[in-house]
Amino acid sequence: MQSYRLLILPFLILAVSFTILYPNFADRDLKIVVREDVYALPEAEQKILVNALFERWAKDYGKTSGWTIEPTGTLPPKENPFYTVKGRFITSAKINQISQENQSLVSESKNKLEPTWIENAIRGGKSLSIKLGLDLQGGMRVVLKGDFDDYTSKLKDLYAKELNELNVTLKNPTAKQEEKDKAKSRLAEIESSFDLSPMRKIVELEKAKMIIDNRLTTQNLTEPQVRIQKEQDAIEVSLPGVSNSAAILEILQNTETVEYRLEEPNPFVFKGQIADNERRTMDLGKREDTDIFLFQELVKNKAGKKAQDEFLEGLEKKYNIPKDYKVYAMWARGNSAKSALLPRSFVVLERKIALSGNDMTNAQPSYNSNSYGWMVSFTLTPNGAEKFFDLTSENRGRNLAIVWGDKVISNPIINDPIAGGRAEISGSFSEQEAIRLANVISEGALPIPLSVLEMRFIGPTLGIESIEVGVKAVAIGFFLVMIYMIFYYRLGGFIADISLLVNIIILAALLTLMDFTLTLPGIAGIILTAGMAVDANVIIYERIREEIEEGRALSIAVTRGFENAFWTIMDANVTTLIAGILMIRLGNGPIKGFAITLCWGIVTTLFTSLFLSRLFMELTVNRLGVHHLNLRPFFFGKKETTNV
Amino acid sequence: MYNINFTKYKYFTLSFSLFLIVAGFVVTFVKYGGFAHSLDFNGGLRTVVELPADKTRSDLEGYFQSKNIEAVVILLEKDKNIYQLDIGLGSLDTIESLYKEIPEVNRESSTSAIDRFVQLLRYEYKLPKEKVLSADQVGAVVGGELTEVGITLLLTTLAIILLYLSIRSQFKFALASAIALVHDILMTLALIGFLQIKPSVPIIAALLTLLGYSINDKIVVFDRIRENSHGKDNLAFSNIINVSISQTLGRTINTSFTTMISVVAIIVGGAVELYDFAFILLFGVLVGTYSSIYIAAPISEIYDLIRKKRFV
Repeated sequence: MQSYRLLILPFLILAVSFTILYPNFADRDLKIVVREDVYALPEAEQKILVNALFERWAKDYGKTSGWTIEPTGTLPPKENPFYTVKGRFITSAKINQISQENQSLVSESKNKLEPTWIENAIRGGKSLSIKLGLDLQGGMRVVLKGDFDDYTSKLKDLYAKELNELNVTLKNPTAKQEEKDKAKSRLAEIESSFDLSPMRKIVELEKAKMIIDNRLTTQNLTEPQVRIQKEQDAIEVSLPGVSNSAAILEILQNTETVEYRLEEPNPFVFKGQIADNERRTMDLGKREDTDIFLFQELVKNKAGKKAQDEFLEGLEKKYNIPKDYKVYAMWARGNSAKSALLPRSFVVLERKIALSGNDMTNAQPSYNSNSYGWMVSFTLTPNGAEKFFDLTSENRGRNLAIVWGDKVISNPIINDPIAGGRAEISGSFSEQEAIRLANVISEGALPIPLSVLEMRFIGPTLGIESIEVGVKAVAIGFFLVMIYMIFYYRLGGFIADISLLVNIIILAALLTLMDFTLTLPGIAGIILTAGMAVDANVIIYERIREEIEEGRALSIAVTRGFENAFWTIMDANVTTLIAGILMIRLGNGPIKGFAITLCWGIVTTLFTSLFLSRLFMELTVNRLGVHHLNLRPFFFGKKETTNV
Repeated sequence: MYNINFTKYKYFTLSFSLFLIVAGFVVTFVKYGGFAHSLDFNGGLRTVVELPADKTRSDLEGYFQSKNIEAVVILLEKDKNIYQLDIGLGSLDTIESLYKEIPEVNRESSTSAIDRFVQLLRYEYKLPKEKVLSADQVGAVVGGELTEVGITLLLTTLAIILLYLSIRSQFKFALASAIALVHDILMTLALIGFLQIKPSVPIIAALLTLLGYSINDKIVVFDRIRENSHGKDNLAFSNIINVSISQTLGRTINTSFTTMISVVAIIVGGAVELYDFAFILLFGVLVGTYSSIYIAAPISEIYDLIRKKRFV
């Protein structure tokens, strides 16, 4: 391995690592955005809010952290409604704290840590700073309560048709007794499913928990904890260091479903009425008054699902739509593929669900090169396939709408019965939307709507005191180990120390790149990594020393020392790596956090001890003219003579 | 070169370990009725309170100790003297009876345990309502699920290590390593039970760390034994073991020592809540080192002896 041109490699890796780690140490800007409604308040009330912030600032934030805030003591101008905080080590916990303590002043979801140049360059503005787990810095805890009333009403929609038919059979005087009995028992069966036993509730909550788990893992939160609180039919979610609670809440509560519903039969009487009325308003030049325009405004202003539902219900009243039907908006993009997905017109669908998301599985997004758009293909369950075939053969010529959440995304006409159990949804999707839709189909929608029962920010497992002392202790321990290595192996110890430092730096950069959330077990993993890295060097030096003692020339002793130690180090690390990978796959929460740091730590350790240390060592011995390598401790070491 | 007969005492060390493990578990289950309860594993009551400036952590801890309530006190914010109090489920009865001792005038009727605890605290520390920042009954962070996952994990890990080491070296080394690992885990669990240390997330981290350390240690020793046994079939296996352990002794001492430096730094540093973590790690390093020499190596030797007897 005597090509010293390889030296460029460690320097390159170090440079990249430092660049990645830069945002952790850099002076950063944080924008704390003032709520819009604050500006409408009387001046006296504004003053109270502003004073509360700055009193706390003077007492705590500013004093201990050395951060500065602009403008000080007043409300920022309305055109630029934010305070700019400048400083190092701005953590999400601190941002949360400021937001939470000044809720009536600060619009939390809009707070933003300005990305540094490096984050802009390689991450498109996404954060590159190391995230700390809930156990280290606290975070958000949300308790979501299952809304079982809503759940049963949806269930009733699903069985609406069958219930109707069964009731007809029961009331039919000409029906056979046998048929009536059958209908009766089926009716009882369906009705019992509306009646939720505690057991059933737990099952539904378990499903919801699994889906939330899946959703959170795609949100770069490595160690969210999701658990069920049986006593109150609720799901508790702990989110380490979450700064933007609004966005996360939206993801958690998203009850988006995928359903097929039949459109009203052709000619579209109700849809026609609405369209006629809209056209008339347009002709009068009052585009702003059309319902679709109003609805688009609602969507653009992010008025929320409730407001949208109310708007559509209003339309149902306005046009006297019968109870069996429901008004939906048809969503599509404008002229270009990049324009926003917005409601474009209204359609009227049957209230009953023809085919629900439960009948579909294994959805995959794919790119359709014919229409230059994304689509989603999926498999139907055997039961679903049968239903779908019946549906399509009974309703030829009618339109079958696909409803995603509460958006109708397409309503193709049924030309032929569809058999085979595979189908696809093509709409004007972007890649993200296609992935989201596929996720909803594959993972399933949340079985029950969830409402926020409680949301608060909680304290860390360890107090600040312990963390401060702990960090100091680990740092001192590290330092002492490094001193000891130099004391014991002299020049060799120094090389080992350098490779240990490089090891930790590369590991930190790797973990940052992977959006890893650092927790207490994670730190334990790093400590173990450092221990094993030191051990690898110890093994190597003991081998080199043995070679020297046997009278080999120094450069040969070094080479042989590394070669002899190679498999020992490999075996030890590979075995630990296997255990680590198992932990990642089987473990949860704390075990996973530990295992991820450990596994990557092993990778970096193998690199630094087998490649980097060797490179440095051979360079020292062969090029820098070190002819005597004493690997015995100071004071105790007997003088060694080696043949050069 | 040192010349110590490590394997001479193998039957003694093996029985000694077995005795310690059994004794630890007997004390744990017979005397204490199992492992200590903790909030992380069993759930419990969690309150966050802001105390008057003159009250300190030791006041709180002293109070709970005198009343026989299992509590973990965590200082959340120094400037404002805010503490998080975690109360184990085992203390509910104590709280119940203490609540009943509050004079009628100072107490509102309530049924939930957490309400009663808050009232007790408020009465004891003369706290106005707004100083109790939060109070709730919390479920376990880890627990039943974890125990199950933990056991599956341990067994699968052992199986894979057995397989890998059997392929890379010999079955006897693989077997001995696996048994020694189980020994280390059991020994540590016995200690946790014996001292009634509260299981928590940091304790799990410590257990995982010692597992990793222990695997590492066994492999280093066995690699040397394997290397030394090449072409020396005529030499007694116990001799090879002794020589190999002696050869790696320098490394063993060095690595144990450096690992211990970091751990001791945590203990001496005085991070109260990390004390258990560091303590288990320290114990783990010692046990891991001990078991490489006095458990794993002798077991491989015994296996060797049995096999030779059978085939001769």
